[in-house]
Amino acid sequence: SCSRAKDVTMPAKLPVHFFSTRSPVIDLFRGQLDYADQLRQDSEIVLYFFYAPWCGQSIAAREEIEHVASRLSDQVLFVAVNCWWNQGKCRKQKHFFYFPVIHLYHRSFGPIEYKGPMSAVYIEKFVRRVMTPLLYISSRSKLLDFLSNYEPGVVGFFEFNASPQPPGYLTFFTSALHSLKKDYLGTIRFGVVTDKRVAEEISLVHSGSVYLHRHANTSLIYPKDIMNFTAENICKWALENREMLIRWLRPHGGKSLLLNNELKKGPALLIFIPYNPLAEIHPLLDEITKVALEYYKCNKSRAAEPDLQHLGDSDSPAFDSSVTDAHLKFSETFPIAKYPCCNTVVLPQWHSISRTHNVCELCVNQTLGVKPNKVHVPHCNFLEIEAALDSFYLQEHTFFQVISNTIECSNFLSFYSPFSYYTACCRTVNRHFLSFISSEKTIFQTPKVAFSSHGKKDNTQFSIPHIEDRNCFIPDLNISSTNITGLSCRTNKTLNLYLLDSNLFWIYAERLGASRSTHLKEFAAIVDLKEEVHYVLDQNQSLVGPTLENFIKNFSVLYSPLKRHLVDDPSVHFHEEHVVTEVTTNTFHETVFLSAKNVLLLYYAQWCGFCASLNHIFIQLARLLPPDSFTVARIDVTRNDLPWEFMTDRLPTILFFPHQRKEQSVKFPEDFSVNLPNLLKFILHHSSLSSSEPCTKECLHKESVLQQGHISHLEREIQKLRSEISALHQAHDQLEAQLSEARRGEQRLQQQKHTLEKQHKTLQLHSEQLQATYDQKNQELLEMAEKLQELADASENLLKENALLRILVASRGGKLQSKDEIKETLQSEQTLSEDNDISLSTATAALEEKRINNIDTIETEHSSGNRTE
Amino acid sequence: AMQRFLGPLLCLWALRLPAGTGAAARGLDVASYRERVRAMFYHAYEHYLESAFPYDELRPLTCDGQDTWGSFSLTLIDALDTLLILGNVTEFQRVVSVLQEGVDFDIDVNASVFETNIRVVGGLLSAHLLSRKAGVEVEAGWPCSGPLLRMAEEAARKLLPAFQTPTGMPYGTVNLLHGVNPGETPVTCTAGIGTFIVEFATLSHLTGDPVFEDVARKALKALWKNRSDIGLVGNHIDVITAKWVAQDAGIGAGVDSYFEYLVKGAILLQDKELMSMFLEYNKAIKNYTKFDDWYLWVQMYKGTVSMPVFQSLEAYWPGLQSLIGDVDNAMRTFLNYYTVWKQFGGLPEFYNIPQGYTVDKREGYPLRPELIESAMYLYRATRDPTLLELGRDAVESIEKISKVDCGFATIKDLRDHRLDNRMESFFLAETVKYLYLLFDPDNFIHNDGSDFDVVVTPYGECVLNAGGYIFNTEAHPIDPAALHCCRKRKEEQWEVEDLMREFYSQKKTKKFTLKRAPDHGEGENAKDPEDASSEKAGEKRNSKKSSHSLLSCPSQSFNSKLAVLGQVFLDNT
Repeated sequence: SCSRAKDVTMPAKLPVHFFSTRSPVIDLFRGQLDYADQLRQDSEIVLYFFYAPWCGQSIAAREEIEHVASRLSDQVLFVAVNCWWNQGKCRKQKHFFYFPVIHLYHRSFGPIEYKGPMSAVYIEKFVRRVMTPLLYISSRSKLLDFLSNYEPGVVGFFEFNASPQPPGYLTFFTSALHSLKKDYLGTIRFGVVTDKRVAEEISLVHSGSVYLHRHANTSLIYPKDIMNFTAENICKWALENREMLIRWLRPHGGKSLLLNNELKKGPALLIFIPYNPLAEIHPLLDEITKVALEYYKCNKSRAAEPDLQHLGDSDSPAFDSSVTDAHLKFSETFPIAKYPCCNTVVLPQWHSISRTHNVCELCVNQTLGVKPNKVHVPHCNFLEIEAALDSFYLQEHTFFQVISNTIECSNFLSFYSPFSYYTACCRTVNRHFLSFISSEKTIFQTPKVAFSSHGKKDNTQFSIPHIEDRNCFIPDLNISSTNITGLSCRTNKTLNLYLLDSNLFWIYAERLGASRSTHLKEFAAIVDLKEEVHYVLDQNQSLVGPTLENFIKNFSVLYSPLKRHLVDDPSVHFHEEHVVTEVTTNTFHETVFLSAKNVLLLYYAQWCGFCASLNHIFIQLARLLPPDSFTVARIDVTRNDLPWEFMTDRLPTILFFPHQRKEQSVKFPEDFSVNLPNLLKFILHHSSLSSSEPCTKECLHKESVLQQGHISHLEREIQKLRSEISALHQAHDQLEAQLSEARRGEQRLQQQKHTLEKQHKTLQLHSEQLQATYDQKNQELLEMAEKLQELADASENLLKENALLRILVASRGGKLQSKDEIKETLQSEQTLSEDNDISLSTATAALEEKRINNIDTIETEHSSGNRTE
Repeated sequence: AMQRFLGPLLCLWALRLPAGTGAAARGLDVASYRERVRAMFYHAYEHYLESAFPYDELRPLTCDGQDTWGSFSLTLIDALDTLLILGNVTEFQRVVSVLQEGVDFDIDVNASVFETNIRVVGGLLSAHLLSRKAGVEVEAGWPCSGPLLRMAEEAARKLLPAFQTPTGMPYGTVNLLHGVNPGETPVTCTAGIGTFIVEFATLSHLTGDPVFEDVARKALKALWKNRSDIGLVGNHIDVITAKWVAQDAGIGAGVDSYFEYLVKGAILLQDKELMSMFLEYNKAIKNYTKFDDWYLWVQMYKGTVSMPVFQSLEAYWPGLQSLIGDVDNAMRTFLNYYTVWKQFGGLPEFYNIPQGYTVDKREGYPLRPELIESAMYLYRATRDPTLLELGRDAVESIEKISKVDCGFATIKDLRDHRLDNRMESFFLAETVKYLYLLFDPDNFIHNDGSDFDVVVTPYGECVLNAGGYIFNTEAHPIDPAALHCCRKRKEEQWEVEDLMREFYSQKKTKKFTLKRAPDHGEGENAKDPEDASSEKAGEKRNSKKSSHSLLSCPSQSFNSKLAVLGQVFLDNT
């Protein structure tokens, strides 16, 4: 049975319902793919949910699908197919590498795979787009709405007057479905215009033309003469030429280089907002879009793009045609720019100890500037600023003299170009020491500074980006709303703008330092992967257009006032009972530099094996050193950023900051093993250097404090020794107990030995007795045998006699036959009984023999038992 | 009285509520998964006790038991510390007394040296070190003596005869009563030679008998000496002649825990020599076997690819990488392995990477822990929710596929989820333990050093349970602090005492401390492995002179802040 059980196997359990039977989702849990295909004929829109019953993601998505189904079941058929069960058709025909897989069909078109987040709202949004891939644009105002969206829009113009199915319309419709296949985030929207007058707004005249709207660049019309008018081509063309002013980032959860690829393009502004794709309006998103449009608007006069002001103003009867004008005139010349491009310059100081420094705002004023006529020539390029800086430094002596709290401006001619002159406005600000902590309570105590060109506030002019004081920030809407226009082209630190849905990706915000406690999940950060820094928009400010603009501007200026954000671990609380002090970004300065103690600081990370195994050594050290003059501290650098100068590239790293010479920190040498004696030697070596001044009263006091410490240390030692002694006593007692136990055991063994010996003797006696009885029995047996022999002989004689008698009787028989009949039978009976006697006696003899044998074996057993004992 | 009775009852009821309602929140309900893992443990554990004890393993389809690796009630020994991690102190105490009475190593059984070490010696050692925490009354010499330690030592001594070979590399099998059988095969797998240092060094440090650590080190050095010119080791070697019998080099079956123990030994013993061995191997592994974050099998002398497969056992590698700070690479490889899980609901023993499917005869999944183990380590390092998702998938899969009335059955074939009549002891020792720890971030095992115990032993005062537990390859945690409690404790204490005296008198003898720089003869561990391998001439040896200590991790790069939810970053180089 044992070997058979080894081969026992059991087939997988039979599939059961995955969705409840009351669910609006049809659950083909036996994988009936053929039936699923049949079902497709019944409905215009079908959603297939291919699942595996064991798959966690399928289980998690089930609820979401049910939710969508309950909302759309009247228009969409929801079919779930178990594509795992190996007897099912689905498993035999389809080969999936992951589950669940969601496929959508729009009539015969499909499958369109949904690859977005497994969240009901996103799935529903996508299903709705598959249901209506084309948006019908009936009026000018709807067109304006459609175009003002930040997501690229493609508009097709088809006149339905001529025929019920104008040529190309079906192709255009299919291309909209195609785009959903290619671009699952659905960022390109497709619209259709049927009214000629509406079409004219975007200068579409011929039915069958397709238009791609762009905000910052020229909008395009599909080049029918160059490319064939096919669904794939239209889709490809739109994807290639679309404008991505601001992109959604939606990591799908699997291994991906999305962030790597995007962030390596340059500094990025990540904006986290809670987003409901089903919502009708997105006010915050509109506001962000506005900022983005302004930021990228490099080539247009300021007044030319009022279209966004019409947002939501759909009933506006007087449709401002300048919107479309602006687009149409894109390739034409632009008005000569009147605005300067500017840069903040902090002047080098003569003395590094100077407590103030001069900040100048240097602007290039182009009176007779060149006419930019191509899309991407920035108005104010890097070369110009370089030239301006050169000229500026030639004149710098003028500015070094300035020590003023008011702004002073002066103009000077360009060194290179006769057509431009520069303006420099300077003022002196107090120099502040770098603070480690980028929190609201920083030491950044600069008085509020605002620069304005030519020293006068003029809102029609471009005001210069200003350094803001975070303590008393009041957004100045007027100035900032104009300020940002075209900034992306005027700076050499152009930002890429990204949106993330904080309902799904808040974890990234937390990683960048977003507060965990905030209920409003809005957050903005600029990440510069190359420089390995990131800046954070103060979370106390609400995320609105102007704050975002200021954030961008502050990043863009040459000497940016933004400070690298240092993420710290909010979960760490100060514990009095912890012998090793846990330091965070926020407490670093205070614990290490401001405290009047020697500080030994361990840089560690929880995950690093080499750090965790040192815990006990640092705990011992902290318990050993006098707490009133030594701090043993540690900082988890994975969760706490530190200023560059305090960073370390290996973990663990041990630094010692001696009291009174905190700036002369020393590092524990790496080639020594980290153990208690070595750490003590290290501390001893470095803390002794300072004590060479002559002894004063203070020194005596110190000495006494030290000796006090020594005394308490010794007391602790004594305590320890006492407990050690008691431990030894315990061990001693334990040993004693064990010893006496062992002795008792020995005694017991001795006793056992004695009794065994006794037993042995009695056994021997018994054995002798047995021997005697054996002999006796043997004797008896022999005698018995003799007797038996005798009996045998006797019976033999009897037999002979019997035979003789028979012969005798036979001879006489003839005569006495009838007379002697009775007598004869009696005689024969007699001989029979004699026979029986003999057989009985042989049987008893055999039994006797057996018994003797038994006694023999018992005896041998006894004797062998004695031997082992 | 009624009032007092009702009070705690209401409290319990209120406590239970959040677990049920928490599911509504986005993301994973960690607490409810933790409870499901706990229920999983008891379902298997109770059925083992009921139907299989005192056999080694439970047979879940036939509801009986069988002996597999010996006859030591293996599942019970292996599950012992899991009981404590789940917080079940009373059952831990009961099992400790059962084992003390019931387990006998004087048996005529041929046992695997490797398996007996990692499961029996490792399990008993960790139970010994945790017994005080579990409320077991320990004797005065603890942790340097104790009944479980004596049992571990006895079991380990039974293995020592296997190490009596010309090379110092052990035989694979030993008879517990008679030693190595005559005619025993001299071919042992690499892991069977290099997976002793964690248990044996711990034994030596606790008992004071250096023989265990010595044989383990000798075996490690023999492997190091026999690596190929391109720095790789094969799969099987003849321990008499030191000839490689199987020359496939990789990180999986047959080799895996050798690399693991080089790293864990280096951490546990602060041993630079072991670490530099590992780093050399790591370089060769990256050079020859790594393709697109997968690790393949190559010929150990030529470096040519011999098998483009991923093995279930290889999934420990990301966890190991995270221990030494290579978190980025670890995460990238982990995400590759995770896709295989998503395809089958488990990891097949072999997975053909180019074909994207299982390999013939290797389609099983015996509920191995390796991928979950890596997820636990990586979650410590990154807190990435993706890792919790793997935990979720594992719980769902194991419950749906392999749960039967009598326990959890090995999946014989991942293609159709047919079950086999076996529940390996590592299911309770490792798989369930790592799953539970993944879902229990506040478990004492994750202690970051903010808690600790002070124990007074006859050797002096000792700080214990300060975190940094090293898991042996069967997931039995060893407290690294315990290694400093016994043997050399007294010497170190005297030295510290001298230094403290000096410390308090420094003001008087100012010049004295200046002379006393940290002494250079510090520890024999500090020397380089070059001494051990000086015969390998002509190899470039400059790399080890790098500016940083070998016993350290690199701090994480800036982009690691954003490397969550599947996002990976490429090096800038």
